[in-house]
Amino acid sequence: MPPDAALLRIEDVALRPDAPAHRDALQAGEILGLAGLDGHGQEAFLEVLAGLRRPAQGRIVLAAPDGDGIALAGFRQAVAHGIAYLPRDRRATGLFPSLSVLDNFGIVSFAADRRFGLIDRRRRRRRYEHWRERLSIVAPGPDAPVTSLSGGNQQKLLLARWLARAPRILLLNDPTRGVDQRTRETLYGVFRDLARHEGLGLVVLSTEIEEVVRLCRRVLVFREQHVAAALAGEAMTADAVIAAMFGQG
Amino acid sequence: MRLARLWRARRESRFALALFVLLLAVNVALNPVRFHPASWGTELGLAAPLLAASIASMPALLGGRGGIDVSVGPVMGFVNAILVQGLILGLGITTPFVLVPVALLTGAAIGALNGTLATLLRIQPIVATLGTYLLLTGLTLTILPAPAGSVPPWVQSLAGTWSILPLAFLAACWLALKRLPFHDHLMATGSDDRACYTAGVNVTLVRFLSYVLTGAIAGVAGLLLTALIGSADPTVGPTYTLIAISAVALGGVSLAGGRGGFLAAALGGADIFLLQSALTFFNVSTFILQIAYGGILVLAVTLNALDLRRDRRARLAAA
Repeated sequence: MPPDAALLRIEDVALRPDAPAHRDALQAGEILGLAGLDGHGQEAFLEVLAGLRRPAQGRIVLAAPDGDGIALAGFRQAVAHGIAYLPRDRRATGLFPSLSVLDNFGIVSFAADRRFGLIDRRRRRRRYEHWRERLSIVAPGPDAPVTSLSGGNQQKLLLARWLARAPRILLLNDPTRGVDQRTRETLYGVFRDLARHEGLGLVVLSTEIEEVVRLCRRVLVFREQHVAAALAGEAMTADAVIAAMFGQG
Repeated sequence: MRLARLWRARRESRFALALFVLLLAVNVALNPVRFHPASWGTELGLAAPLLAASIASMPALLGGRGGIDVSVGPVMGFVNAILVQGLILGLGITTPFVLVPVALLTGAAIGALNGTLATLLRIQPIVATLGTYLLLTGLTLTILPAPAGSVPPWVQSLAGTWSILPLAFLAACWLALKRLPFHDHLMATGSDDRACYTAGVNVTLVRFLSYVLTGAIAGVAGLLLTALIGSADPTVGPTYTLIAISAVALGGVSLAGGRGGFLAAALGGADIFLLQSALTFFNVSTFILQIAYGGILVLAVTLNALDLRRDRRARLAAA
């Protein structure tokens, strides 16, 4: 595939000045996995992709219609260019505990609710219903406090919040952490669907190796703040990922 | 059905609402003439500066993380001095088309200063606005060393016949604001600023604008103060700051941010006003009044804290 078909290019990015740089690209419709022992750089790398953190070297380039691309400079710019980032700790950095389910949903996609500059709550409610059905969110009602939702449904609501913005790139930081098995299967289905049918590029950081192997086409395994191995296809087995995580093989 | 939902949704203002009903009944029983419909205009005019000051204190608080504006009172005093001493006496301007915009813009400009100090320079809001408090108090006394002046009839009517107008204007503005993305962002910022940042919201800008809004409403409150006292007085304004903050806390605006609104702030202000008027009926001294304010504030903040704790427990239970 030519390089300009990529949604996002990773140009010689290193997390530390002395660490080896990584060059890569995220294609449309691809699910890229990030794995590694906790604190070995995969989370920092995901934050670099989101513009939340500056890499020590290199840059992230977002694809633009003119073909040249835009260097990523910050998080809000990333959001404006179609990146969605789902944080790991949904209670600390995701949900607004004192707001309703509907307001929690609408916070990043308010532009779609605007009519003559004002928020049309009925329109927001319709959009919410669409995503509630698609992600099968179980909630008492749109006006219920968001704290009345179960952990899995809170996670799905956060996902709905970002999907409602119709992003091109979805960065997921351990999306199934603390989520029950049924919800997990629903989420996997949605992720695959988004990649296959809507051409989104997904980057999934996961602490569960099984998840990475099942879901992703490719996985980058981190060790000591750099990409120690990039596995794909037949070579991408749970054992191989674990071996790379521990620096063997 | 709608009322029931409103009651549930405004959990934080229940105490203030119950107190309002109680105090209103007490006041009407004590003094039926004063609370006769014919004198509602005057009565509202008496309450208006406090109501507006409470409403003004609210947006800065909503932004959370220690957001507060203690300079609301001095802004009112400063606007009062500028309007009467500067425009009416100094330049002979009495038209509302100049006085109203001047009041609004003066307030908004001071709000922008507060916002710059508190959000861009990241000085703790209470310290930053305390600085503005002292600055404005001194400035007001420099412009106007002693009470002076009088106001045109249309300003006087804002404290009598037409006292509902400015408050209705504020209410209409708030209703419109509630439908802007800014309102959602402000509530979300106050609720959890880190989550708001990771939702791509410009948290600093939202907080800055909350101070500008607070300043602009304080400007309106200054105009209402001018209407009520019918002259310029450099010492009245600053006394409003603390009463207004107690009023919003009482009304259920969370001092931690993210909770409350126009109705909560106005209810709190009305409670304080009614309490004041019931106590003055018994000719109690101003010292007793102070004790009553203090007691109410402590009670309100305690109730707020208990509510927050219950909320946190609910959060943990849901997780």
